[in-house]
Amino acid sequence: MVRSTYEKRVARQLLLILSPSLLLLIAFVIYPAVYSVYLSFTNEALTGAAALNPRFVGLRNYSRLLHDAKFWNSLLVTFLFVVGSAIIGQFVLGLISAILLRRNLAFKQLFSSIILLPNAAPEVVAGFMWISMLAGGENATLSRIVMFFGMTPTDWLQTFPLTMIIVVNTWRGIATAMILLTAGLSTIPKEVFEAARMDGANPSQIFRRITLPLMMPTILLYMLISAVSTIAVFGLVYALTRGGPGGATEVISIYIYNQSFTAFQLGYGAAVAVVALVISLVLGIAYVRAMKVQV
Amino acid sequence: MNKTVLVGLCAVTLSAFATLAQAETIRIANHGQAGINAMKSTVARIEKKYGVTVEVVEYPSPDKDYMTKLLTELGAGNAPDIFSAPTTAYVADMVAAGYLAPIGAEFKAWDGYASFYDVAKQLAVSPDGETYVMPFMLGIQEIYFRRDVLEKAGISTEQPKDWSDLLKRAAEIKEKTGAYGLLFPAGVSWGTGAFDEGFQHLLVGSKTPQLATEDGKLDLTGEGVKDVFGVYKELIDKDLMPTQPLLGPEPWVIPKYQMFPEGKLAATTCGSWCYIFDWGRESKNPIPDVEKAVGTWTIPGQAGGQYVLANLAAPWGVNAKAENLELAKKVLMEIGSVETQVSYAAEIGNIPASKAAAQDQAFQKLTELVPIHAAAENGVYLKQAAGFATVAEGVARATEALLRKETDAAGAQTILVDYAREILGDDAVK
Repeated sequence: MVRSTYEKRVARQLLLILSPSLLLLIAFVIYPAVYSVYLSFTNEALTGAAALNPRFVGLRNYSRLLHDAKFWNSLLVTFLFVVGSAIIGQFVLGLISAILLRRNLAFKQLFSSIILLPNAAPEVVAGFMWISMLAGGENATLSRIVMFFGMTPTDWLQTFPLTMIIVVNTWRGIATAMILLTAGLSTIPKEVFEAARMDGANPSQIFRRITLPLMMPTILLYMLISAVSTIAVFGLVYALTRGGPGGATEVISIYIYNQSFTAFQLGYGAAVAVVALVISLVLGIAYVRAMKVQV
Repeated sequence: MNKTVLVGLCAVTLSAFATLAQAETIRIANHGQAGINAMKSTVARIEKKYGVTVEVVEYPSPDKDYMTKLLTELGAGNAPDIFSAPTTAYVADMVAAGYLAPIGAEFKAWDGYASFYDVAKQLAVSPDGETYVMPFMLGIQEIYFRRDVLEKAGISTEQPKDWSDLLKRAAEIKEKTGAYGLLFPAGVSWGTGAFDEGFQHLLVGSKTPQLATEDGKLDLTGEGVKDVFGVYKELIDKDLMPTQPLLGPEPWVIPKYQMFPEGKLAATTCGSWCYIFDWGRESKNPIPDVEKAVGTWTIPGQAGGQYVLANLAAPWGVNAKAENLELAKKVLMEIGSVETQVSYAAEIGNIPASKAAAQDQAFQKLTELVPIHAAAENGVYLKQAAGFATVAEGVARATEALLRKETDAAGAQTILVDYAREILGDDAVK
C-alpha cells in the first residue's frame, strides 16, 4: 500500500518529536546496558594490570558467578528482602492504609500525611536517622523503648540486620503502596459493595470475593513496580549496614557495588549486574503475563 | 576621550586574557579536613614559587570512598595531576594500571632525598625497581596498653617476648580485670585496616615474613600466614578481643573511642596519632595524663624479637596523564619538604619520613611523636607487589569469617588464597 504524502509527513514529524527522548534513552539507558553486557565478558578493572590492558575473557565471569558463594548469598538476601519488605510489608500495610483511608476516620488527613512523610526524607538521610534509632547502647531509641518494658537492649543492626533493613524499607515504601492501592480501590464502584452487603455478605467475604479480585490488576502492577525497585535499593542499605555484618544484608545492588568499587573488578561486577537485570526482566515479563495486559 | 577609554579597556582585557592563558593550574586531590589543613601553607608556597594556581579538589573522607572516586577518575582519564594513596598497599596496583608517572630520577636528584629514612625510600620502590611515589610520611603502629589498668591489677607491663607471651598477657588481663585483653583490627568494615593495622604487623615477625616473591608473585600459602590467623582465632575464641563491634559499619568507634578510654579494652594496635587524636589532647574522649596512663609495646615476633613495621602513609604521586608532568613533579617535591611533613604530623599524627624533621622546631613540639620518629630508623617493611590491595581485602574477608566463628586458621588462609586467586588470577598467586 502506498502511503500518502500526509502520512509520511506525520511520520516524520512524530520521529522528530520523539527523537530527543529516543536519543536520551539510547545515551543513558540502552548504551550503558549494552556496555555493561560487553564489560561482563572482559576482565576490566579499576586498578592493576587489567586496568591498563583489559582482555576478553568470554564466559569466565559468569562461570565464576556459579561458584561464588557470596553471589548466591546476595541472591538469597535479595529474595528475602524483596519478599519481606515489598511483597509482605509494604503491600499489607499499604493495603490496610488504603482501606482505612476510604472510611470516614477522625484525623484522616493527619494519618495520610504521616504515611507519606517517609518519602520526604532522602534515602541516605533516612538511613542515618534509623541508625540512631537502632544503634547499640542505652541511648538509642529502640533500646530505650525495650528497656522501658524491662527487656535487654541490643545493637539491632548487628543482632537482627536483615529484619531491620526490611522494617526500614517497609516504612519507606508504604506510601507508594498506599497511593497505588487507593487508586485501585477507588475504581471499584460503591454499588458493588452495597449489593454485596444487601445480599448478606460479611466484611471478610466482601474483601475476599470482591475487593481483592477487582483490585488484582492494580495489585499486580504494584508488585511489579515494587519488586523491581526493591531489587535496586542501594542507598538505604548502604547507609544502614553497608551489606554487613558478614554479608547478612548484602543485597545484590550492594554486592555489585562491592565487586565493582571495593574490589575494583568492573568486569565481574558487570556480570552480576547483568544477572540482576535479567532477574528484573523475568519478573517484569512474569507479572505482565499474569496481568494479561499490554504495558 | 571615548577612544582613549576604549583602547584602555581593550588593553586591560587583552592583558587579563594573556595572564589567564599563562597561569597554569595544578590540580591536587586531597581528602579529610585535616589533610586539607596540613597542605594550606604548602599550597601557598607552591603558588608563590612556581607562579601557578593550585586547585585543591576535595574528595570523600573515608579511604575506601576516596579510592573508589579517585580510581574511577583515573580510569576515565580526568583525575587531578597530583594525588595520594591511603597506604602503600595500593601503589603497586596503581603502577600496574599505568596511573602513576615515574619520579625516581627527580626524587634522587632532589636536595631532600638523602635525609629520608632508608625504610621510606625502600617502601617507595615498586616491584619494577622504579620509584613512583613521594614517601613523605610513615605510618608506624605499635600495641598501646592501659598501663594504669594493668598495674592496678598487678599484671606485668614488660614488653611481651613473643606471640605466646602476648596471648598469655591478654588472657591474664581478661582474667584479672574482666577487660578485653587485646585488639587487632579485623573484618570487612574496617577496610584495609584489617591488613594495615593488624595482620601485617604479626606477619613480619612470623616464620614467613614476606608475601612478595622474587618473581613478583604473591605467596599466601606460607606457614606464617596461617599462624597469624591462628593468633586472631585464639583471641576471638577465648573472648580476649571484642568481636561484635567489629562487625558494624564503623568498627573502630566502640573499641577505640569508648572501650579503651573506659578501660574495658586494655590493649590495642594503634598508630602514632593515637596519643594525640584518639585519647590525647585532640580527642573528644581523652584519657587523663595519657602518656603515663597508656604505654606502648612493639609487636613481638612469633619466636621472639621486636618489630617496628613501617608503612607509607598517604604516599603522593603524579598522574601519568598530567598535562605538565615536569611542573607536577616539581610540585611533588615541594609536598615532600620537611615543612609539609611536619604540618601533616601536627594535623594527622603520622611520622615524617625525613630524618631532618628531628631538627625542626615545630616537630620538636610534637613530643608524643619525637620518640616514634627516632624508632623509624630500625623500621622493617613488607616488600611490595601488585595485588596487595586485593590481599588487604582478602585478609578483611578471612578475619571476618574468624570473627563470625565460621572457620579456623587454615580455613581463613584458604579464604584469603581463594579470594586473591579469584581476583588476580592463578598466575599472580603462588
